[in-house]
Amino acid sequence: MNVGLFGIENVNIWVDAVIRLQLIVILMTVVVMGLIYGERKIIGRFQRRLGPMRTGPFGILQSLADALKLVGKEDLRPRGADPWVFELAVYFVFVPVFMAFVAVPFAFDWNVRVLELGLFYVVAISSINIVGWVMAGWASDNRYAMLGALRAAAQGISYELPLILSLIAVSMVVSTDAGRGSLDLGVIVAEQGHIPYIVWQPLAFAIFYVAMLAELNRTPFDIPVGESEVVGGPFVEYSGIRWSMFFLAEYAGLFILSLVGAAVFLGGWAWPLGEEVGPVWQLLLTAGKALLLIFSVFWVRVTMPRMRIDQLMGFSWKVLLPMSFALILVNGLILVYDWPDVVLLASNVVGLIALYLIIDRGITRRRVRPPARAGAATTA
Amino acid sequence: MKGVLKSLGATANAFVRRPVTRQYPEMHRDLPERDRAFPILLWDDDIDEPYCTGCHACERACPVECMTVLMKDNPNHESVGGDSRRRKIIDKFWIDYARCMRCNICVEVCNFEAIAMNNTWTGHEVSVYDRADLVMDLPQLLAQHRAGELDEWVADI
Repeated sequence: MNVGLFGIENVNIWVDAVIRLQLIVILMTVVVMGLIYGERKIIGRFQRRLGPMRTGPFGILQSLADALKLVGKEDLRPRGADPWVFELAVYFVFVPVFMAFVAVPFAFDWNVRVLELGLFYVVAISSINIVGWVMAGWASDNRYAMLGALRAAAQGISYELPLILSLIAVSMVVSTDAGRGSLDLGVIVAEQGHIPYIVWQPLAFAIFYVAMLAELNRTPFDIPVGESEVVGGPFVEYSGIRWSMFFLAEYAGLFILSLVGAAVFLGGWAWPLGEEVGPVWQLLLTAGKALLLIFSVFWVRVTMPRMRIDQLMGFSWKVLLPMSFALILVNGLILVYDWPDVVLLASNVVGLIALYLIIDRGITRRRVRPPARAGAATTA
Repeated sequence: MKGVLKSLGATANAFVRRPVTRQYPEMHRDLPERDRAFPILLWDDDIDEPYCTGCHACERACPVECMTVLMKDNPNHESVGGDSRRRKIIDKFWIDYARCMRCNICVEVCNFEAIAMNNTWTGHEVSVYDRADLVMDLPQLLAQHRAGELDEWVADI
């Protein structure tokens, strides 16, 4: 299962671990810089602008320049801040995202570690960063930061559930040699050689996608960091290298969740080329699918306005969570009675239509205005 | 919900169209022909001297008093064997571009159509490091039209 690093066997386990983690850190930093550049370029195009053009040819060095600027800035700490919590909060946001990377399959037998509970590990570890946000907000000694942190916690916890449940719904229909169900990301991907799970489980994908947007604080769910409301959310008081680490974690989280989404729903490296085409094509497939998801995230960001916090919480608890529970129940029912996969698809499509109608009703419903209080001045 | 999908379509439509950005210092958009930058003096190519006779009309009309005009006898006048019919001609002329508010009044009052508003990008891009460099003297004011660098509408009059 776990092959040696670059084909070299019998590497000291600590050296091996250090090298693998170092590779992740370098890869993530480069990818995040690319993503920031890509986001600015893509959003520029969506607004019929060019995006960064000045730094290097077509502005490709813009992220590098930004990073250098951030590293050069003074690392400030407010006088009233709690020094330990303030400085440690960064790592609580930053490290889990990187650790989640350990279990993601990039190509056939290409990952940092094969974990049999890979999916479980990823969702478990990537929810730790909420603690980091609350720490950052609380330690900053700033009301905006505190408010943003509590919003982040509320939103993160609410959307964690539909995210995990939608992934579970998929992982229970994975058919392995030992029967149905697997949490091993490698197995989940390998089983999608012919048809990716987005075809069988479109509702799960829809729930996953919305929850992913919320989990990453992307528009329309960027309530914790909304500039116009809480200036920068939990990160108001951070500057320089610490702030850039928050930023890095945000984009790394986007990349990791897109990779997980690509692996679980879009067939990762397996669909449509299979196991034998070699790591290069498989890497391209995985990256391409992840980038497709990331692009759609940018697209949604540039289209949607920010939601209200009550709409956000209501959507999670009243719509997404019951839907994902129902999805799991129906999936379980189908699996217990061994009905054909078409029934899975049918139930999902019904669920998807229901989701569409519920959202539609939520948007277009006429709101009854509360009656004017007696004695309130009526101004025409 | 239909609106949400429609809005996604609208942004996608913007995405596939060409950006409208112009890379400014490298690429200038076309100015309208009656674009109004700072005033400059025009050059009479037929007689090879400025149109301006230094009559002080513009100087008196200027609401921000950015002009200084000095007149002299024309050394090229017919009476002294020259080929010009201008008895007086401009000797020295300064316009302080830092004070000028581009109101066009000097052009309106000029009896000889000797002054015009610059309608080229050169007229807009006059940033300098020292404020004193914004006080333009006669050769600087005449240079552009003399070299034929003005655009149609001004150059025609």
